[in-house]
Amino acid sequence: MPFQLTDEQLLTRDAVRQFAEAEIAPIAAEIDRDHRPPLESIPKLAELGLLGLVIPEEYGGTGADSVSFAIAIEELSRVCGTHGVLVEAHSSLCTWPIVHHGNAEQKQKYLPALASGEAIGAFGLTEPGAGSDAAHTATTAQRDGDDFVLNGQKIFITNGGFAKTFVVIARSLLDVPGVKGLSAFIVERDTPGFQVLEPERKMGIRGSSTTPLAFSDCRVPAANLLGREGEGFKIAMQTLDGGRTGIAAQAVGIAQGAFEAACAYAKERVQFGQPIAALQAIQWMIADMAVDLEAGRALVYQAADLESRQEPHSQASAMAKLFCGEMATRVTGKAIQIHGGVGYTEAYPVERMYRDAKITEIYEGTSEIQRLVIARQYLR
Amino acid sequence: MSTYVLVAGDPGVAALVEAAVELGAPVTAVVVGDESLARAAAAPGVDRVVWLGAVGDHAVEAFAAAVAQQVAADPGVVLAGRKAGERALLGAVAATLAAPVVTAPLKIAAQQVTRSVAGGLATETRSYAGPVAIVLDGGAPLAGGGPAAVEPVAAQPAAVTVTGLRPNPAPPADLGSAERVVAVGRGLKAKQDLPIIEALAAALKAELACSRPVAEGLDWVARDRYVGVSGQQISPRLYLAVGISGQLQHMGGCRGSDLIVAINNDPEAPIVAQSDYVLTGDLYALAPALTAALA
Amino acid sequence: MNIVNIVVAYKYAPDPQEATVSSDGTVDFSRAKAVVSDYDAVAIGYGRRLATACGATLVGVCVGGPQSAKPVATKAALSRGLDRVVVVADDELETAGSTRTAQAIAAVVSQLGDVALVLAGDSSMDVAARMTPSVLAGLLGWPMLSDVETVALADGSAALERLTPQGVQSITVALPAVVSLTSEAWPVKPPGMKDLLAAGKKPVEIKSVADLGLTLADEGTVVSRAKLGGSARLGVVIDTSDPAAAAATLVEALRAAGALSEGGLA
Repeated sequence: MPFQLTDEQLLTRDAVRQFAEAEIAPIAAEIDRDHRPPLESIPKLAELGLLGLVIPEEYGGTGADSVSFAIAIEELSRVCGTHGVLVEAHSSLCTWPIVHHGNAEQKQKYLPALASGEAIGAFGLTEPGAGSDAAHTATTAQRDGDDFVLNGQKIFITNGGFAKTFVVIARSLLDVPGVKGLSAFIVERDTPGFQVLEPERKMGIRGSSTTPLAFSDCRVPAANLLGREGEGFKIAMQTLDGGRTGIAAQAVGIAQGAFEAACAYAKERVQFGQPIAALQAIQWMIADMAVDLEAGRALVYQAADLESRQEPHSQASAMAKLFCGEMATRVTGKAIQIHGGVGYTEAYPVERMYRDAKITEIYEGTSEIQRLVIARQYLR
Repeated sequence: MSTYVLVAGDPGVAALVEAAVELGAPVTAVVVGDESLARAAAAPGVDRVVWLGAVGDHAVEAFAAAVAQQVAADPGVVLAGRKAGERALLGAVAATLAAPVVTAPLKIAAQQVTRSVAGGLATETRSYAGPVAIVLDGGAPLAGGGPAAVEPVAAQPAAVTVTGLRPNPAPPADLGSAERVVAVGRGLKAKQDLPIIEALAAALKAELACSRPVAEGLDWVARDRYVGVSGQQISPRLYLAVGISGQLQHMGGCRGSDLIVAINNDPEAPIVAQSDYVLTGDLYALAPALTAALA
Repeated sequence: MNIVNIVVAYKYAPDPQEATVSSDGTVDFSRAKAVVSDYDAVAIGYGRRLATACGATLVGVCVGGPQSAKPVATKAALSRGLDRVVVVADDELETAGSTRTAQAIAAVVSQLGDVALVLAGDSSMDVAARMTPSVLAGLLGWPMLSDVETVALADGSAALERLTPQGVQSITVALPAVVSLTSEAWPVKPPGMKDLLAAGKKPVEIKSVADLGLTLADEGTVVSRAKLGGSARLGVVIDTSDPAAAAATLVEALRAAGALSEGGLA
């Protein structure tokens, strides 16, 4: 299936690349070293329109198509995986479910602030006892008059440290076991009884704030129920379909950054009187990396295009996520190999890219879960 | 048919007169500026000096139409320097004569000009049936001493008035007369590494220069020290480019150098093909080594 | 203040940073992507501010070969803040010099009417002759000022500040006028996502040389071309596996060439 990018998609790539190289590349190594969330980037991302990509124009967003969104995530991640996931989680995991499942009041209340960067979004599904297995979600949301009272804990919440708007999955139909008892809620950061705990110290995407959330008799107005009661699992799964494509795009971007660094290094590093790029061993690695990247990119754009056209894309996004996550680990690993010893040091960006790449095999559904999703389609 | 040399408030046009004389046709200098400038323009080789009057409160550009009118009388090759005012006057001449404009000429003959294209990587020779407007480095100041009398011609300047000048705090850098220039580009990773390059420049008794992004995007080096088509155009005996890839814009400013030396980590950087000596590798190792070798 | 149109003259041209140079000195632009350069983005960004402040329409005028009229080209320019564009796209203009380019721009400016100001960037990115605005002003009979950092429009005139080697000169110029801006006159930022999506909805007019009834100037006939590069320069590659030895070799070569002989370095 030949895929032709539109003018707008091509120009999105130019614009985001220019922005990322000017504004993000200079801080990428530092925020990684210091495990520091790049809060100063948020107004800049908002000014370019990158925080409202999936938000319709009437709510202050740009209403971009999913391929443009994937390209934007890819270009941010090309210079910094942290920025890629900051925008991806904000857009795919918090903003998207409000756009698609929120009522008019909820959209009016939350989307303009999410588009302008006044509020960053986060998504709370994973728990200590329920990661990929959402049926065992233990966080409860008990109806009490006009409120739901939330109790429980979430972990590994991207953007947790600074997000203002959280979409949280909790069990509100307490007598309904499994996924059918789950509902989705919009929870504001300053709600009493809601607490954001200390961020994790991670191997990669270290500028990304990954925190646990604790709910202790946290009263959320019933007006903040997203969709209907019992729809929480459906909303979460649809959200993750788009999220997977976004993470796949992040993986492609990280791999692209490492690939370019490896090509540049191979041309400049002289051994045995010639640049190592002249060695066949290096050329083969470069060729394999290039093919890996192109294949991954094609899967991402295909999944994003299906999503734009509102066609079923669970399968396509799972394939893109699976392939691109593993591809990014392969490509960034080869990039280090091409660099040799210096590639293993902080003097070059490829070790950071390798650490950043690894998470794309894990979050928003591990590679194993993607395989499960994919195989299920063929074996049912 | 005459050859014209445009003199716009600045006597630094000796190279234009030299090129004009080569063409064989009578040479007319069209002067905008003080009478002393007109007298300076009456240098050997200049057959006529047409003086359009002092600039007064006007900018030189106010005289563009008047200059074009003078040249239109008997058009041949028209030469002007690269400065803002000179280019403005030449543009009006080209418009009036419907003449082509040639920049970066290497060889000027009566009906044929060879110019440098693609930033000095190639040349192109064209023949011309009619007048041609040519921009080139003005060169040294003229100082009169020729036979031509100054012919005053009344000119009506356009409404372009200078209302003030905020002088530069520091005197402008004089890269143009430097024997040696060390220029630094984006290969330098941080501003705090600049002393490495300054030490090299000091060891070479060279002026410090840079590529455009180092002066304009990054602000590491003063703007009057960037070399390029839109910056300083220089031709020192030695031009040492450190961490400069050698894009067209940059090379346009240094292609006239006697010797070009490149220190660059990319053996395929454009500057490599345009250099006399190439050191491929890490500037952080090579520049200090060179400084040490000069000590 | 009644200003109807402000024009920005821009070019859609290959980015020379992406041009490749082969060992024989041939420049290959085929892999160089065409763009609206940052020089032109400065002029468009500055023009947008002026036009918004005085309620004028900001019209982009582009002259070039057929690719200048491609939707991706016009959208790239429009996304920078132009209200509309007029493109003179013609095979005859593919390699146009300053004079032909200025002729085409002047024809569009004359047809538009009510143009108070033509803004241009400091230089084109690919040719960098820096002469087109001057020729354009000559054709229109308007004054032209280059190296301008600020423009303040008033009724019938503009107050400019421009950079000269001596300092910042303040100038008052009668309108209409042609002004080229320094590359620092406006901080160039990438176009926002909303601007990109809006660009496709703005009006684009495409004209040929014939549509404008233009007789293009004779810009001469190419007699010959030659490649420079390796042949014009010595092209000596010094082995750098030992930096100190490489430095000594270079110093020796420079000394032999007399490049160190003046200024007390002999």
